[in-house]
Amino acid sequence: MIAVLATVKGPYIDWSALSPVLALLGGSVLVLLAGLLRSRFTREQLVPFLALAAFGATIGLAIWQWDADTLVVAGAMRIDSLTLLSTLLVCATGVAATLIAWRGQAARELAHGEFFALMLVSSAGMVVLVAATNLVTTFTGLELLSLPLYILCASMMRSERSLESGLKYLIIGSVGSATLLYGFALIYGATGQTGYRAIAQAIVTHHVAGDVLFLTAVAMTIVGLAFKASLAPFHQWTPDVYEGAPTSVTAFMSVATKTAAFGAILRLFDTALLPAVDDWRPVWIAIALLSIVIGNVGALGQSSMKRMLAFSSIAQAGYLLVGVVVVTNLGVQAVLFYLAVYLFANLAAFAVVAARERETGLGDDIGALRGLGARRPLLAVSMTLAMLSLAGIPATAGFIGKFRLIESAADGGYTWLGIAIVIGSMISLAYYLPVVAAMWREEAEPALAPEVDTRTGLPALAGGSPEADRPRAGWEVQLVALVLGAAVLAFGIFPQPLFDLVQSAARGLGLL
Amino acid sequence: MSITTSAWLVLAMPLAGMLVISLGAPLWRGKLAGWLGTLAITAAFAFALITFFKLQSRPEDAKVATSSLWDLANVAGVHIRLGIYVDPLSVLMILVVSGVSALIHLYSVGYMASDRGYTRFFAYLNFFVFSMLLLVLAGNLVLLIVGWAFVGAASYMLISYWYRRTTATKAGIKAFVINVVGDVGLVLGTFFLFKHTHVLDYGPLFKSVHVAFSKNESDLVIGMLLILVGAFAKSAQIPFHTWLPDAMEGPTPVSSLIHAATMVTAGVYLIGRLHPFFEWAPTAGDVGAIVGALTLLVAGTIGLAVTDLKRVIAYSTMSQIGYMIMAVSSAAYVGAFFHLTTHAFFKALLFMAAGSIIAAMGNEQSLDKMRGFRRAMPFTFWCFIIGGLALSAFPLMSGFFSKDDLLYLIADRGGWYWVLYVAGYVGSLFTVIYTWRLIFRAFWGEPVEQAVELEHGHLWHAPHPFNPANGELEDTEVGFPGPDHHIAEQSWQMKAAMGVLAFLSIIAGVLELPFNITDALGKFLEPTFADSIVAHPENNSLEAVGLVLSSVIAIGGIWAAYVIWVQRPGTSARILERTRPLYELFVNKWYFDELIELVVVRPFAWFGRWSRDTFERIFVDGALVGGTSGIVRAGSAAVRALQTGLLRSYAGLLVAGLAAVVLYFLIRAA
Repeated sequence: MIAVLATVKGPYIDWSALSPVLALLGGSVLVLLAGLLRSRFTREQLVPFLALAAFGATIGLAIWQWDADTLVVAGAMRIDSLTLLSTLLVCATGVAATLIAWRGQAARELAHGEFFALMLVSSAGMVVLVAATNLVTTFTGLELLSLPLYILCASMMRSERSLESGLKYLIIGSVGSATLLYGFALIYGATGQTGYRAIAQAIVTHHVAGDVLFLTAVAMTIVGLAFKASLAPFHQWTPDVYEGAPTSVTAFMSVATKTAAFGAILRLFDTALLPAVDDWRPVWIAIALLSIVIGNVGALGQSSMKRMLAFSSIAQAGYLLVGVVVVTNLGVQAVLFYLAVYLFANLAAFAVVAARERETGLGDDIGALRGLGARRPLLAVSMTLAMLSLAGIPATAGFIGKFRLIESAADGGYTWLGIAIVIGSMISLAYYLPVVAAMWREEAEPALAPEVDTRTGLPALAGGSPEADRPRAGWEVQLVALVLGAAVLAFGIFPQPLFDLVQSAARGLGLL
Repeated sequence: MSITTSAWLVLAMPLAGMLVISLGAPLWRGKLAGWLGTLAITAAFAFALITFFKLQSRPEDAKVATSSLWDLANVAGVHIRLGIYVDPLSVLMILVVSGVSALIHLYSVGYMASDRGYTRFFAYLNFFVFSMLLLVLAGNLVLLIVGWAFVGAASYMLISYWYRRTTATKAGIKAFVINVVGDVGLVLGTFFLFKHTHVLDYGPLFKSVHVAFSKNESDLVIGMLLILVGAFAKSAQIPFHTWLPDAMEGPTPVSSLIHAATMVTAGVYLIGRLHPFFEWAPTAGDVGAIVGALTLLVAGTIGLAVTDLKRVIAYSTMSQIGYMIMAVSSAAYVGAFFHLTTHAFFKALLFMAAGSIIAAMGNEQSLDKMRGFRRAMPFTFWCFIIGGLALSAFPLMSGFFSKDDLLYLIADRGGWYWVLYVAGYVGSLFTVIYTWRLIFRAFWGEPVEQAVELEHGHLWHAPHPFNPANGELEDTEVGFPGPDHHIAEQSWQMKAAMGVLAFLSIIAGVLELPFNITDALGKFLEPTFADSIVAHPENNSLEAVGLVLSSVIAIGGIWAAYVIWVQRPGTSARILERTRPLYELFVNKWYFDELIELVVVRPFAWFGRWSRDTFERIFVDGALVGGTSGIVRAGSAAVRALQTGLLRSYAGLLVAGLAAVVLYFLIRAA
């Protein structure tokens, strides 16, 4: 036995560089164990706190490692500032989603411990996905992030829609994963390599760029990743899953998954498949255009906020892809910058939706937002900023994000893709602005505006009303909305810190 | 504290004031908002003083300091910083702007006391001061344009401040539209400069002028003319002046601050700031000088005829700014900025005094209805006299020295500039006569009912509040001047502000006395204008002639006005009869409104109607909008139709998409 151990030598592992992933995984074990304790306080207060602590610790470790650029676990992963920036974004999303979920129904039904543990595991999967520098690790990361999400989507076990959402995601997601895996297998077949750098070399030395096997492999890889990033025409699961899943999970999924998927796309296509850029670029361009069109026209006329945001996220992913296809350092910066501002705006919007879901009984219908400006001005301001940012109105971070994407497109010789972004944004006004109008211009639905006794603060009529019977959404959800709304505004006026951040992160890919 | 830190604080104070006043609006009771606003601006003035002393303590060759907080944009060769440029010129401007603003805030604390929009007023006013300071401190043309647009917006909000009055809202719109025309000119002009110099920051910009352009090159001249459009619109010069008299619909402190002392002088500042370009494009400079001269004459004649108290002073403002534009375009910089400073004092004072009379008249502004306020309002009367003497360049008053300095420096250039010199003195005569016509008509003669009532100690109130411009009853909810009136005699805040300004109107001349007795301002501004290619040699005899001429005109004019309106009251009617056509021309403001209506508004309106009826309805609405929105709607329906909710169809589409992508690659490989 000892002899065997002596001969099998594990690879050298740089534990400090790996620490962000370890913190997430360790946190998930801790949260899962704590969730087993019977005390209600432990389950409902301590567990979410532990989850927050795990996310916080990961953020801290990522900042500590910021200047690192090392290959870990025998070259399976690369911890550089691209990985770390993605880690920061994923964990920020995790913090927001944890706060939104904290006193929500979904976490309760999944007994808290499991819910937050799954979220942490999924986050770890995202970090691994972005960090991965060989195909096996990439796929491992992908599954590590996907499997917990399937469960999270179905976490409201008594809600038919939630179950439907989880099941749909599982089945269709498996198709996507299978396609990707097949693609990876073919890449290995064509190049004989699994490491990214080795693949890139093999493409050049073996002249496989025009090879049928290799091209089929690239096609399947593109489809698999496009599916994860919910890009058209592989987007169809998105509206159904987003709508059915608990809002906290949708919020987490819409931002963190997208961050991880784009991180992986950047790393895979801008390093491993870079020599074959002329092969894959037209396909990504077509997918980007389709996503911009389908996302934007699909969002028109949706009355469910979550469905609308699902389609909007498809369009946003299309914009992001523009930064990928130009294959320049500027493009990478633009993508990362946009991911950050997308995080602020989207999470703020979901936080408001979650808050109103709990307060009104109208679910995620746009009706729940009607008249919000007069009654809850702070929430309405956050939502307004989020919508304006997603639409790319100046003085919000979204404007600067889109500006940078268009700039990178023009800089890379794809000005017409920049124009596509602008046209898409124009269409998007037709569904973002009605939300703003509903909040500020319309009165609340009569059933939702109960007469309130000014003395007691209780509804004047016995029997109450849908709104008054429900508790106000907790301070933590409003805090998320407010902080992120403020971030939208702050980075819209003063984007420099974010510029610096993405600049150093984009350096890792080594593009010019 | 470094010089730039204190300059940033000058900017920060009014911004903070605005935010605090507007965000805490429900909390401010009584006059608290007013005091907060005044405090913020006073603090800004204090920091402006600190900046001034820091600048003075610097060595002669280091009178420029720049600082930038962060990059606003750095793409495609355009580098825009949020930066400021502190040099003698901008420091002079921040001193004048924040100083006069502080006094006018103080005045407003009393004057606006019964207005129901009190808090809103001070929020706007602070915003204005912030914008104006941003304009003068901006370190590059982009930030200047931002400040430029901000003051336009502030001006619009304050003109339309009493928004229940249709006249006020219309005047606000007019001012805004004309100013936007100017903004467009300024932006386009900036583009012409940028196209050749590739920089926007002042320092490199001024250095590049002789490199990037040849003298009087067409692109440079076009650019500078476009920038002049911006300057003319903001400074109410012909033909962009028609908004200024209408802007008198705003509250009187606004007229005093924005439409007399500060904002309307922005054009003068702009030309002075960009003087290396104007000197390198003499054609544009000459256009500026001629337009300034025309404006001072035209506005002076209109001032002789109109009877609305505030509008007379407004035309006087136009005319005085005409002097400044004329001077600054003829490279008489020190004279122009000297006059800008003294004018800010005495014109603000005159407006404040006018506000006091208007309050005593129960918001009535027509001179025809005012008479004999001398005994009823002694303080206002003396302020008016001091302001009037300074405005009419009466010997030893501040206006006497500044106007003389200005005209002397113009004449000094010789050649056809002599025409401008003569125009200046003709304008002076107009100035004296309309000023003293105003004073004699308002303060001399048999007291009117309102004056008599005031002599007995109570303020006259109209039975029903009404809009003096068109006589309609006020909607008294909010957005009207308030039920009570406030006059200087009864409000110490107004008295204090006016007292300080009266004092300054008298003595501000010591900054720059003739024959180089003192040359404080000239010395101070010298670093800014050191690169000027126009030399100004000493010419004491010319200066002496000017002083004598000025005194004669002032004393003679006052005497003439006294004869016409006090000694022989019928004279003005007789003159009017004999010169009816001229009077018609003047009282109708040279028909500029009608001309603009005919040349600009009507053709555009006709074209607009035509395009709406034909082009827009058929092509745009029908084909373009209908077609596009139809396509989008159909696309939306198609996307939603595909969204069946059935798993098998989703998987099917996924596989179909995969097949399409693989097929593409295979075709490509083959």
